[in-house]
This record gives sequence, structure tokens and C-alpha cells, in this order.
Amino acid sequence: MAADPKLSHTSAMILQAIHAGFIYGFSIMEMTGLPSGTVYPAMRRLERDELIRSQWERQSIADNEQRPPRKYYKLTAGGKMALESSRKRYPLLERLFPAEEVKSV
Amino acid sequence: MSLLLNSTFCVLQRCMLRAASLLVPGCQREEWMLEWRSELYYACKSLISDGEFSWKAQGEILAFCFGSFRDALCLRRQFRDVGTTTPRVHSSAMQCLLWLSTVLALCAILSRLLPGVHAEYDTVRHPVRPNVILIQGADSNDQREPAVSFAQFRDWKTNRQRYFDGLAFYRSTTESVSLSKTHSSPFKVAVASLNAISLLGLPVQPFNTQTEDSEDIPQVVLSYETWVRSFGSDSHIAGRPIHVGKITARIAGVLPCGSWRLPASPDLWLLAPDSQIALMVKDRPGYVLAHLTPLGQASMTSDSISIAVRGASDNEPSIFGVLCSGCSQGPWQIYLFALVLAVLALPAVTSVSMSESNFSSHHPSRRQNISRWLFLAAKLTVVSAIAYFASLDIAYCNTDTYSETAELVQFIADFSICLFGLRWALMDQQNRCPVCLRRVTHPARVGIVSQTFLGWNGTEMMCIGGHTLLHVPALPTSWFGAQRWLYLDTSWEFLFADLPS
Repeated sequence: MAADPKLSHTSAMILQAIHAGFIYGFSIMEMTGLPSGTVYPAMRRLERDELIRSQWERQSIADNEQRPPRKYYKLTAGGKMALESSRKRYPLLERLFPAEEVKSV
Repeated sequence: MSLLLNSTFCVLQRCMLRAASLLVPGCQREEWMLEWRSELYYACKSLISDGEFSWKAQGEILAFCFGSFRDALCLRRQFRDVGTTTPRVHSSAMQCLLWLSTVLALCAILSRLLPGVHAEYDTVRHPVRPNVILIQGADSNDQREPAVSFAQFRDWKTNRQRYFDGLAFYRSTTESVSLSKTHSSPFKVAVASLNAISLLGLPVQPFNTQTEDSEDIPQVVLSYETWVRSFGSDSHIAGRPIHVGKITARIAGVLPCGSWRLPASPDLWLLAPDSQIALMVKDRPGYVLAHLTPLGQASMTSDSISIAVRGASDNEPSIFGVLCSGCSQGPWQIYLFALVLAVLALPAVTSVSMSESNFSSHHPSRRQNISRWLFLAAKLTVVSAIAYFASLDIAYCNTDTYSETAELVQFIADFSICLFGLRWALMDQQNRCPVCLRRVTHPARVGIVSQTFLGWNGTEMMCIGGHTLLHVPALPTSWFGAQRWLYLDTSWEFLFADLPS
């Protein structure tokens, strides 16, 4: 992985959305306004480049709430660094989604 | 109604996800499907309120499902990229098949360009009409000697025959033929009845007998060999006037190349009415061609016939006839025969056993086994196809027309290429890693001869993908008779730089 990866605006938005607490695919879609055909492939690439990592919600939690388990995404250390450098490149990024507390998984 | 519509759309959306999942590599499909179904659930929950049907909401959900296809393709690309990071091309099955296909294509193209190959196909495509015989006198044993006078032929023709329904006469002489104003050469010219060619059932290409100014001019039909040798395979030759002796004739066309050979092997057939033939041949004997009636066919014994002919006088002379048929089996029959012989001879030149023995507990997966057999089948098929085209190329590289010698060369080439090609295919297969189908390489001598009685000595080769080692004994023994594969587990991977991480 490059020390200072150059991310596209879409990838930066997705990283920012995850950082802001929108940690599953559909919520990222809703917040960024990007279509599913853009968001999910971008997340695959980010995960491949180890900027984010995914984790399935525990089945017991989903069962208690009578819904299917979700796959949550989280920034890695590399992802956080990449987001920092992207913020310098796209200064308005941070204002799009104000960061909130990440839900516990 | 809303419930029904919502259910219908739900089924449609699930079908879309299922269809998209087919694009995802099998090993990732289940998890991918789980994620997308989960996301679809939340998308539906968010966009459909209180179970009411809304076209807008369903449209958005459908658009969401369409995104799954792009996602699936993205995963597929990523999976392929990981696969191509390894140097799979070198010594790979694909490279081998690519080379073989290239050789096959070159051989096939060359065979398309060789006129001799076309001539051989023509011999199969245009055989002599069945049940046509060449008549010779009962007292004559030499088929090449003309035995029937034209008067005799006319006598037979004017009487209704029981055994024949068509008769044609020809006599061959050597005449000087002027190909141009300055150039003339001697040719074997057959003065023949007008129906001689049609009786033989041979198509004449192009046959333009109906040209305006050719009504009174005799027609000349060239043999294929003459057309190639003396007229340079000129395809616009029809209609050209030539002088045959003192007669001016017009070229009507060319006979197809054939394996049939009539006595005297005429270079040109000068077709003339009986009145003209009578003047030209006078009392000299010629050959008679006849087509047998069903009664005549019933009288055939093998390829000859001895029957009586009705003449003007009441005597019925007994004549002897032999079938006019070619001996060519065609390139395909020759090839099949050579292939069968090569397959039968194969065990004599190599081991055909594809069984593998190994001293690790690992076995290739079913998919790997199927790939191996498919690769072997593909190799054998392409090698066999190469043998077919290459043998035609070898046989006809120096010959423009059909010849029996060329057929013999073709058979020998077919047999040799099939035998050694199939041998190579089997030996190559035995040296390919059962896991990745790459050729094992880096041979190393292991042990010394004296160790044969204690352990083994021979050659060790390895798969550059790091999957296997191949041990080939130098001296087969009862405990180590055949080559063995040793499967390497993952602990060896660090030694092989080209393995995927």
C-alpha cells in the first residue's frame, strides 16, 4: 500500500461517511447520495486496499430484533490516514457529514 | 392488491440478486449474497412505508438491485486480478494449447492454398458415375489396347441392348495442338462421342456449349492435369479457340481431377458427332464406354462382366467389360485409417498409463482432475487435426494434381504425425503438475545408482507454482517402477515467489 494513497472523491466521501458513523452500505448510500452500483464496488476496493474492514453483526443481536444481520464497515489505521490526507485535498469533505459516535458493533 | 404487487416486486428483486450472484466467484458468492439480501431488507424497510405499494419506491429499490451487478462485476475483476498476478502463462496449459492452435491454423491455411489438396478433394467430390464399364474384346486381356471398331460400336448403338442403356466411343491419338499462334505441342487427343463425358457422369466446369458462334465448332474438354500443366490453371479458358491437328475447336471446360484412369489417359477430349468420328477414325479400333442397365448390373461379378452384345446380324458377340471407378478413398478415409493404426501402435512407443502414484495423502480435487482430462483431450484433438492438415500439406506441397504417390505420402505422414504427436501429448501430460497443469521443470539428479537397492535414484523436477515435485526413477524397480508426484503443502509456499499471496 502506498504511504499516501490518492483517493477519488467518491472513495473519500465513503471513508468520511464511515468515519461519521454511517457504517453499513445502505446508510452510506443514503448519506452520500451515491447509487448502489457505485458505493458497493468502491467499498470492495477500499477493503481490498485495507483502508476499511468489514465485520458481520452478531446473529444473536439481529435475532433479538427480528431482522437480518448487517455487515458493518470500519476504518483501519491506514484508512484514517488516507482520510486525513483526503481532507486536505477536499477541504469541504468534513462538513458534508459531521462525525458522530460510532455505534458499537 | 398492494400486497400482491409488493410480493411480485420482492420476487423480482431477489431474482435480480440471484442473477448478479452468478457473476461473483463461487468462493465469495454465499457471503456476497448474505450481505446484499440484508441490505435489500433495509432498503425495502426504509423506502416502503406501511406495506403500501409505491411505484417510486419500487423503482428506487430496483435501481438499488441493479447496483448489485456492478458490485458483482467488481468482485469478479478483483478475483481475476489476484489470479493473474502469478506467472501462469509460462509453460501453462493455455500456452501449450495456444501454440498447438497456431500450428493447426497455419497447416489449415496452407492446405487451403495448395492446388493439389483441392484436386484430391475433387476426386472424392466428383467420382465416375456408378456402373460405367469399359468394353474390351473377350479375346483381349490387355485393357490398354483398343479393341472395338467404330463400325462395331455403331452397330451396337443402333440395336436395343439388354445390358446397356448408354454407349460412347473414343479413340486416342497424338495430335499437335496449337495453344497460341506461335506455340504448339503434341497432346493425347481423344476423339469421342458427344455423350462420352455425360456418360461418365463428370461435371465440366465451366461448360458453355451454348455460345453463339460455337454451334458448328467441335468442343474440346481438357483434363485437369492438362489445364494445370499447359494452361496454368487459367479460370477464364472456356470459349477459347484452339487448333487440334487440322480441326479448329473451342474449349468447353475442364474435367474435374479424378482418381479414375481411362486407357490412353487423354489430355484433351474432342467431342464430335458420330458422322465426324467415322471420318476421323475410319476402321481403327477404339474404346467403348457403356452404362449398365439393372440387368447388366446383376450380371456383374466383382468389378468385371462378361456378356453378349446384340449386333445387326443375329450373332451376339461375347464381350468383356471392367468397371471404370477410381481407387481414391479420399483424404478423410486415409486419415482415419492412419489414425486408427497410430492409436494401435501407440502402446509400443510410450506408456499410455495416466495413473499417478504419490506418497502424500493429498489428491487433486475433482475439478482439477476434470481440467486435466479436458486438457489432455484438447491436446489429442488438436494434434490429430494438425496431423490431418500437415499430411495433406506434405503430400501436395510439390504436386498440383491428384496422384497415388501423393496419397501414399499422405498416409505415411498421417501415421507418423499421429503416432509421434499422440506420444508427445501423453508424455507432455505425464510431466504436467496435476494441480496447475504447468510443466515441471528444473530437473535435478537425486541419489546414486547404488542407492537403487536401498531407496531410489533418479530425477526430481518441480512445479514452478510450488504445488508438486515429480520423482522419475532412473532404474524402475518393483518398489519404485513409475514416476511419482509428491504434493507440497502450504509450508513450502515461501520458497516460491510467484505464488499468489
